[in-house]
Amino acid sequence: MSNPTLLSARDLRVELRSRRGSFQLTADALDLRGREALVILGANGSGKSTLMRTLAGLEHPDGGTVVSVATGPVTMVFQRPAPFAGSVAHNVRVSFLGSKRSSVDRRVRVEEALERFKIDHLAEHRAATLSGGELRRLALARAFALHPAVLLLDEPFAGLDADGQAALSLDLRRAISDTGVAVAMVTHDMRRAMLLADRIAVLIDGKLAQIGLRDDVLERPATPEIAQVVGMTNLARGVVSADLRGDLALVEVGPEHRVATQAECPPGTRVWIGIRPEHLKVDVGRGTVDPIGKGVVRGVVNDGVTVTVRVDWAGTELRTFLMAGRGLARSLEVGAEVSLSASPEHVHLIPDRSV
Amino acid sequence: MNPPFDAMLIEITARTLAVCLSALAISLAVGLPIGIALGSRRFKGRVAAVSLINTGMGAPPIVVGLIVYLALQRSGPFGGLSWLYSLEAMVLAQVLIALPLVVGITLAAVGSLDDDWELQVRTLGVPKRWRLWLLVREIRLGLLAAVITALGGILSEVGAVMAVGGNLEGETRVLTTAILMHTQMGQLEEALGLATILVGLMLILAGLLTAVQQSGRT
Repeated sequence: MSNPTLLSARDLRVELRSRRGSFQLTADALDLRGREALVILGANGSGKSTLMRTLAGLEHPDGGTVVSVATGPVTMVFQRPAPFAGSVAHNVRVSFLGSKRSSVDRRVRVEEALERFKIDHLAEHRAATLSGGELRRLALARAFALHPAVLLLDEPFAGLDADGQAALSLDLRRAISDTGVAVAMVTHDMRRAMLLADRIAVLIDGKLAQIGLRDDVLERPATPEIAQVVGMTNLARGVVSADLRGDLALVEVGPEHRVATQAECPPGTRVWIGIRPEHLKVDVGRGTVDPIGKGVVRGVVNDGVTVTVRVDWAGTELRTFLMAGRGLARSLEVGAEVSLSASPEHVHLIPDRSV
Repeated sequence: MNPPFDAMLIEITARTLAVCLSALAISLAVGLPIGIALGSRRFKGRVAAVSLINTGMGAPPIVVGLIVYLALQRSGPFGGLSWLYSLEAMVLAQVLIALPLVVGITLAAVGSLDDDWELQVRTLGVPKRWRLWLLVREIRLGLLAAVITALGGILSEVGAVMAVGGNLEGETRVLTTAILMHTQMGQLEEALGLATILVGLMLILAGLLTAVQQSGRT
C-alpha cells in the first residue's frame, strides 16, 4: 500500500515579477507522501526555491491549489538557517511560542529533537557560536521538534564538507523513517539525491517537467534536458536500425558505432540515447561484452577516490568513472584508443523531438 | 530671595531628568513600532520615509527648536495650547530630536537580520504577537543602542530647549540651559558644577544601559 498523500499541489502557477524580469513556475500535479522524501532537482533559477515557498504557504499561487490534508504542521528549513539570539535549547523552544502544549511536553520534545540531530551536548551554547554544520542540525531539530507532517528542506547540505553531508543525510534519513514525515528537498548534490530520495521531481525553466520514483527518473528521463539534470550526461543522437542483435534493438550513432538497447522503438525513429556514466564501461582490449564501438580518451581526472575519464566517441564526448588506483585507472592516458560498452538494459532512448 | 545653590541644583537636575526621560519614553513608544515597520515591511513610499528619517537623524537641534517655537507661538498653528516656555514644549522639542534617532537605529537593527528571518519564524508556526516579541528580543542590542543615542542626544541638548523653554527660573531651567546662563554671566564655578552633574548623569545612565546591553550578550 502506498504512503498517504499529505500535501497536494494541482495546476500550480506562480508568477514573480521583479526589475530583472518576470518568472513563471508551473506544476500540474505534485504530491508529498508520508514517510517519503521527494528530491527536487533543477538548474539554478529553475524555480526550486519558489516551489518550496509555495508549498510552505509563503508564496500565494496565481493559479491552482496547494492543499494540506496533514494533521500536523507544514514547516520549512531554509538554505541559510537563521540562529535566534540565545541558547541552542532556546532556539528549539521558539517552535513552541504561543503553543498550548504543557511545559513537560515541550521539554521532552526539545530534548528529543536535540538528541535526534546529535546536538544535545550544545543545548546551553549560544546558537550564534555554532559552526555551519551544527547550525543546520539546529534548524532541523527546530523543525522536527514540531513533529511536522510535512517538512520542506531548501538545500539542507549546502556549505557542508563531504563528511558533514554524509553524517547529516544519514541522520535525516533516519528521522524521516522514524517520524513518518513527508519531505520535499531541494539539492544540487546528486549523491545526496540518490541516498535520500524515494521520488524525484525535475524542474526545467520553471516547469515541473518530470516526477516519479527515483530509479524511474534517474534511468528513464523524459527529455535530454531532464537527463542532464539527473546526471545522465552521456547523450548522443542516433536512428533506430532495422537490424537486431538477438532480440535487442540497435541504434546507429555512427558508421561503426551501434548501441544495443532493451527499449522498444520502431526502426527509422530518430532518438537520443542516454547512458549514465556509471553504466558506461571502458576497456583497452577488443573483447568487450555489449560493445558500442571505439573511442579516444580526451581527459583523465583523478580526485584520489574516483577517476573521471572523458572519451571522444562518434564525435560525442562521453564520461565514465573508474576507481582510483585500480586496474585501468592506473594506466589510462590521454590519446589512448579504448573500447566502450554498455549493458542494453542501461541504454535509455529518448524521442528526438527536434526533427 | 534666590534659593540656595544646592537646592537649586537638585531642582534643576530633577527637572532635567523628568523632561529627558519623558521625551525618551514618548520617543521609544512612537519610534520603535515605526522603526520595526520600516525595517521589516516593503511598501510604496518606504524609501522616501527612510530618507526623511535619515535627514532627521542629522537635523540641527536648534532648527528643531525653531520649528517648535514657530508652531507653538501665539500666532502659530498650535498657539492655542499655550505651551511655549513650558515643560511640555521642551518635551515636544526633545521628542522631535530623539524620534528620528530611535526610528533610524531601530530600522537599521531590523534590516541587519537575514532577509528571510521573518519567513523562517513564520514557518515554525509562531503566532504574530510572538513573532514581534521574538523580533524585539533579536534586535535588543540595537534597541539599547537607540536608547543610549537618543538619551545622549536630548540630555546634552541646549539650543532647542532654550528656544522653546526660555530658561525660566523655577519653571523651565534645566542643566544645559543653566550651564549656558552661568557661563555667559561669567559664573564659571557654578557652570562647572552643573556640567559635572550633567556628565555624571550621562555616565550613570549610559553605564546602566551598557551593563544591560552587555548582559544580553551572554
